[in-house]
Formats: sequence, structure tokens, C-alpha cells
Amino acid sequence: MTRRARLWVLAAGLLATAAVYAAACTELPGFGGSWHPYGDRAVHAALRQRTANTISSVNFDQRAFDTLGEETVLFASVLGTVVLLRRTRDEKRVAPEPVRVPAALRRYGLLMLPVTLLIGLYVIAHGQLSPGGGFQGGVVAATSLHLLYIAVDYPALERLRPLGLYELADGAGEAAYVLLGAAGLLAGPAYLANVLPLGTFNTLSSGGTVPLLNAAVGIEVTSAVVVLLAHFLAQALEIEGDAEEGRTA
Amino acid sequence: MNWWLAAACALVAGGLGPCLWGAARGPAGGRVVAQNMATLLLCLVLLLLSQGYGRPSYVDLALVVAVLGPAGTLVFTRLLGDEMGERPPGTRLLTPAVLVGAPATVVPMCIAAGPGRAAAKLVLIGVLLIAGGAVTSRAVRRG
Amino acid sequence: MDDALVVAALLLVAAAATVAVFQRDPARQAIVLSLLGLALAVLFTVLQAPDVGLAQLAVGSAVTPLMILLAVRKVRRKGHRK
Repeated sequence: MTRRARLWVLAAGLLATAAVYAAACTELPGFGGSWHPYGDRAVHAALRQRTANTISSVNFDQRAFDTLGEETVLFASVLGTVVLLRRTRDEKRVAPEPVRVPAALRRYGLLMLPVTLLIGLYVIAHGQLSPGGGFQGGVVAATSLHLLYIAVDYPALERLRPLGLYELADGAGEAAYVLLGAAGLLAGPAYLANVLPLGTFNTLSSGGTVPLLNAAVGIEVTSAVVVLLAHFLAQALEIEGDAEEGRTA
Repeated sequence: MNWWLAAACALVAGGLGPCLWGAARGPAGGRVVAQNMATLLLCLVLLLLSQGYGRPSYVDLALVVAVLGPAGTLVFTRLLGDEMGERPPGTRLLTPAVLVGAPATVVPMCIAAGPGRAAAKLVLIGVLLIAGGAVTSRAVRRG
Repeated sequence: MDDALVVAALLLVAAAATVAVFQRDPARQAIVLSLLGLALAVLFTVLQAPDVGLAQLAVGSAVTPLMILLAVRKVRRKGHRK
């Protein structure tokens, strides 16, 4: 196809999309407004399940199966990245040059690591009550470990990060979600049904399986981000290829 | 719309807007300074929004920004290295901004919240902001 | 009047996204991208979706810049060796 023909195809595609999009927009309900058929039902169901954060109730109870899909997407993409970024036979590992970090920055990093980790765990644990949950808190917790690389140095991160354990925890978090779903099948009516006692509204022990599923996602996301960043760090700082020119040709 | 939301709106338009302008042009150092300033302002905006909407649980967003914002800036200062240059423009503004902005937002909110867990959380955010601001402005200055 | 906040946040997101697209250097693009993330967090919060805003903040403020800058460093190191 010539360049000219390709541009015509692109223009036709864009025009068609614009036309369909504009037609769809005319049918949308107005911005704001008080008519929320789906929202009202979701809030009603969340209150019945004693989950204060309706979003968590939708994600981990009413449509928990969707979240299993999302979690699996993350799991699979991290797995793919690990395979792509592995050290091949013609690459060698070189110790990265040490970097001098100012003392104040080092102190800040060491002090903030536990604080950030705690905030991450707090966000995971309060998923059924306030904004946040397993994914958000998991990413915060994973970031806290990398303060060691950012503010201290790379060997310190490597010492405190047994990668094998995180790879194991990644799989375990994913498995925990699947098994919790199976528990719903055994003890209740359906896969991922909320079979646990619902507890007292607006307390940490409320929402039945919601906090447990949040914890499973939290473990999976924390480990997944740590594993992902570990391979990025190794590629950027340590791994050097001998035959890179030959392979990229 | 109440005064809290009006203040948040003013900070978004008059604070985050210029930060975007600063991050979009010039050498890397000045851009990182603008990014750092933006995380500070964002934390204040989120605090004001939480108070303006009357949703105390929205404070969690500000709490997360107070720890991850400085971490993000430190990522840039660490990995951009020599590209940053010594004393990028705007560095002098960082410390005064955090020393004025954090108390000016946190103290009225604490008074509005009254003593209790909510006020303690707000004070924690203020302390984290000031500590993060001090460390990042130092890291940016050294280049 | 609440709409003023929504409009300000929308304009900020549109401006940040446009600026991010027009950056040439990936490392500097990462800085603008981080600002785009902050603007999106404001927009989500203003539209009463703090859960999404929190996810955006968690991913966008430190993890994404770290991944981009590490990738840039790897590519540049390769370039130096050639």
C-alpha cells in the first residue's frame, strides 16, 4: 500500500470513529444529575453486605470475578516481563558502580521505608472502609522497598529483597484469590460468593470475604511490582551483553 | 461551593498550571523542581478537597502523596544524575513553599476537625510533607 | 460552582497530556508524564472517584518514572558501548 492510500484509510477510519462517537454522545445522560440506576443498586447491595466502601464491594464482592481477571492480567504480564528480561547465555552480570548518597538522604530513606510500608499496609487493610485496597496499597508497599535503591544504594536493596520469596508470594497471592473463590463454591451458592460472616458495618472486620480478597490482591501486587522492578533494575544496572550488536542486527 | 473548594480550585489553576509550564521546558533540573513543587501542591489540593467535600476518608490520598511524592522526585534526582545540573532555577522556592503551605493548610483543617484521630492524621501528613520537602530540595540542589 | 473545579482539572489534564506527547527526550517526557499522573489524580478526586485517583497516584508517582528511567538508562548504556 502506498503512503497516500494508507493516509486515506486512516482518514476514513478516523472519520467513521468520530461519527459513531458523536452519535453515541447524543444518547448519553446529562453530566451530573440525580438519576443513577446502577449506582443506587450498587450502594444498596454494598450496605446489605455491610461494606462501607461501595467501590470495594463492587470490586471484591458484587463483581469479584472481574477482579480475578484483572489480577490475572497483572500476574501474566509480570510473568511475561520476567521471561523477556531474563539474563541470556551471552550476557554477563557486572557489579554496578557504587554511588555516593548524602547522609541526610540516606537517613530519610531508612526512616521512610517503614513509614511508607505501614501506609501501604494501612491502605490494604482499610480497603473495605475507605478509598484504596489491595492494588493501591500493594503498589505503595512495593515502592517503600525501593526507597533503598533510590535513597541508599543498590546492594542494600538486594540484601533486603530475597527475590525468590517474592516470586513465590506472587503466585501464592494469585492462588489465594482463586482458592477463596472456590471456598464460595464449596460453602455457598457460587464461585467467589461472599460466604463469611459480614461483621459490623464500618469496622475493620466487616464485609465478609472483601478484606481477605483485598489481602490476597495486596500480596500479589506487592510481589508482582517488586519482581517487575527487580528485573528492570538488573537489566539497567547489572546485565551487559557481549553479543548485543550481533543480536540487534 | 465553599471556601475550601475555592482554595483548591485556585491552587489547581494558579499552582499546578505554572508547575506544568515549568516541567515542559528548559533543562532537566528545573523540570524536576517543578515536578517536586507539583507533588507538594497536589497534597495540599487533596487535603482541601477532602475538607471541602466533607469526606474525611479522602485524606488517605494526601497521605499517600506525602510519602510517594518525595520518592518520585528522588527517583528523578537519582537517575538523571549529571543531567540535573547544580542549583536548578526555582530551587529557592521549594523550602519556603512547603514551610508556608503545609501549616497554612493543615492547621485550619485541624481546627475544623477538632482533637482526635483525624487531627493526628493531618499533623502526620504535615510532618511528612515538611520532611519530604526538606530532603528533596536538598537532593535537587546538589544535582 | 463545583463545575469550576471539574473544568480546571480537565483543562490541566488536557494540557499535560498534550505537552507529554510533544516532548522529544524520553527522560524529560517521564517528568511531564508524572505531572500528567498528578493532574489525573485531581480529576478523579473531583469526579468523586478517589479509589481510581489513589491507584493513579500509587502507580504514577514513583513506579512508572522509575521503570521509564531505568529503561532509558539501559538503552543509553547500550548506545555507549557501540
